[in-house]
Amino acid sequence: MATLQQKHDWADDDELEETSTELPPPQKITNKDGSTTIIEYRLNDNGQKVKTTRRIRYITHREVVNPRVADRKSWAKFGLSAKDGAGPAPDTTSVGENIIFKPSFNWRQDAKDESKDPNAQAMKDKLKDKKVKCRICNGEHFTARCPYKDTMAPIGEAGAAADAAASAADEAAAASQGTAGAGKKGSYVPPALRGAGGAAAAGERMGGKYGERDDLATLRVTNVSEMAEEQELRDMFERFGRVTRVFLAKDRDTGLAKGFAFISFADRSDAVKACAKMDGFGFRHLILRVEFAKKAA
Amino acid sequence: MRPILLSGHERALTQIKYNRDGDLLFSVSKDQQICVWFAHNGERLGTYHGHQGAIWTIDVDPTSTILASGSADNTIRLWEIKTGRLLKTWDFPTAVKRVEFSEDGSKLLGVTEKRMGHLGTIVVLDIKLDVDAEQSDEKVMTIVCEDSKATVAGWSYLSKYIIAGHEDGSVSQFDGKNGDLLYNIPIHELNQPITDLQWSHDRTYFITASKDKTSKLITAKDLEVLKTYPADTPLNSATITRKKDYVILGGGQAAMDVTTTSARQGKFEARFYHKIFESEIGRVRGHFGPLNTVAADPTGKSYASGGEDGYVRIHHFDKGYYDFMYEVERERQNKLNQQQQQQTVSA
Repeated sequence: MATLQQKHDWADDDELEETSTELPPPQKITNKDGSTTIIEYRLNDNGQKVKTTRRIRYITHREVVNPRVADRKSWAKFGLSAKDGAGPAPDTTSVGENIIFKPSFNWRQDAKDESKDPNAQAMKDKLKDKKVKCRICNGEHFTARCPYKDTMAPIGEAGAAADAAASAADEAAAASQGTAGAGKKGSYVPPALRGAGGAAAAGERMGGKYGERDDLATLRVTNVSEMAEEQELRDMFERFGRVTRVFLAKDRDTGLAKGFAFISFADRSDAVKACAKMDGFGFRHLILRVEFAKKAA
Repeated sequence: MRPILLSGHERALTQIKYNRDGDLLFSVSKDQQICVWFAHNGERLGTYHGHQGAIWTIDVDPTSTILASGSADNTIRLWEIKTGRLLKTWDFPTAVKRVEFSEDGSKLLGVTEKRMGHLGTIVVLDIKLDVDAEQSDEKVMTIVCEDSKATVAGWSYLSKYIIAGHEDGSVSQFDGKNGDLLYNIPIHELNQPITDLQWSHDRTYFITASKDKTSKLITAKDLEVLKTYPADTPLNSATITRKKDYVILGGGQAAMDVTTTSARQGKFEARFYHKIFESEIGRVRGHFGPLNTVAADPTGKSYASGGEDGYVRIHHFDKGYYDFMYEVERERQNKLNQQQQQQTVSA
């Protein structure tokens, strides 16, 4: 017996088991903690052996029931239910989704938040104190009317939130733009006529702070991993100085990064340092390429 | 709280009722059958067949042996609960809108509709609480409602009074023995019908629901309004819970307007109010149509609601329901506990 087992190669074990159609007898083990383990074997549709291990603990729960109620539970079913078996019949009885019901004095407040969204009136109320925000420069105008729309790509939402300092400057610029554009009152101005009214503003725009920042302290990072997050980039670049803006281009549908990002520093010298150190940095299996952002054509 | 959905009916529910032990739930709807369910798991015990029209109302005697039902086929029928056997049929000139057993089960009242030249009446029948006994054909008493028809009615404590709610929003008190009209008090707004009347466990006070969007708690003895529960929708039903001092109101947009309103605006929710403080403490959603009837388990473990959508939903309360207390209630509880402790210490 012992020799036979020695000869037997362990690698064949698996195969042997599969070919044998005999099923081991079910086992019942009583555990120390009072539970019972039941191991059963069966063959599934593909002829494969399936081992089912169940651990069961029996708890005797005693309940004192009204004898009349107990008697009624043993009544035979009748009428349309006469043929139903014991227990609730699935065609007449089902269980609904869980309802959280907790009585409270201010349930109305709790409930309001839920009911608000689909309600148009509530939506209006919500938007009442919302301000128009430009996706490009965070200014208080529509993105389509942004003075910088030709020069910059829209910034990501997370980046925009962090971009406190830059947007403050933008708002100042936007305000001046706003006074210039106030006369138009939102009416359409053909491109040919736009130059005349906005000449001064355009001139200001070219030499504005935004352009300066773009030129001097913004790095373009390419070969960024698809899985990258803005916060990660921010963390990486913050080592070299104060980062005012991080923009990671993301695909609108999939939410994955497109592979490039812009990092704006408060100080140009920090940007130079970062450019030198981070170029060729390995990040998420890819080697980053960092260079100064070129002004858009 | 996971509701149990009972889909035994094909049309709108009209009334649901627990038996006194709270283990059986009876439901009737505008289709022509009565269903009985086990309240704890929603298993259907059986159905009762024989009615030829929409069934408006149902009641079960206190010993859970006999069932009474009133229908649009102008009959009141008695059934043996255990087997579904039809025991007795009484014919009336018009539809029966409400039946109710007296506290001891020896009498049954029925409210008949005003129609086809017949005035609305409240009839009283003698009942022998034995499935094999011959029930008498005689009506013990007939109360004719000349002014405004009764829509709901019930027996007060010890069968002393018959209380009726009327179509014009008033509530009447009749003598339970001879049927004399003792009081008729306008309780709800004029010409807003009272849609439901359910008793407290001892039948000394009752709750009404009305289309005037309020529900009121009223004493049986002198029809004094104790509490008013305002809602923002016409109410179809109201019930008083046991164990906790709550009331449950059910209602919603009138059934004929349902298709023109969204489910959210329809307010198809069961509303919970505190019985004593009269403030709303929560709502339970789930039905797709107005709630036609709500019933509270006499043991305080659950409540059920039946809707225009044809579903009955049984809700077994969970811990949060029992734990909720107003500050004053909690203080009182603490005080009582302290007193109890002191008593045990001194003893």
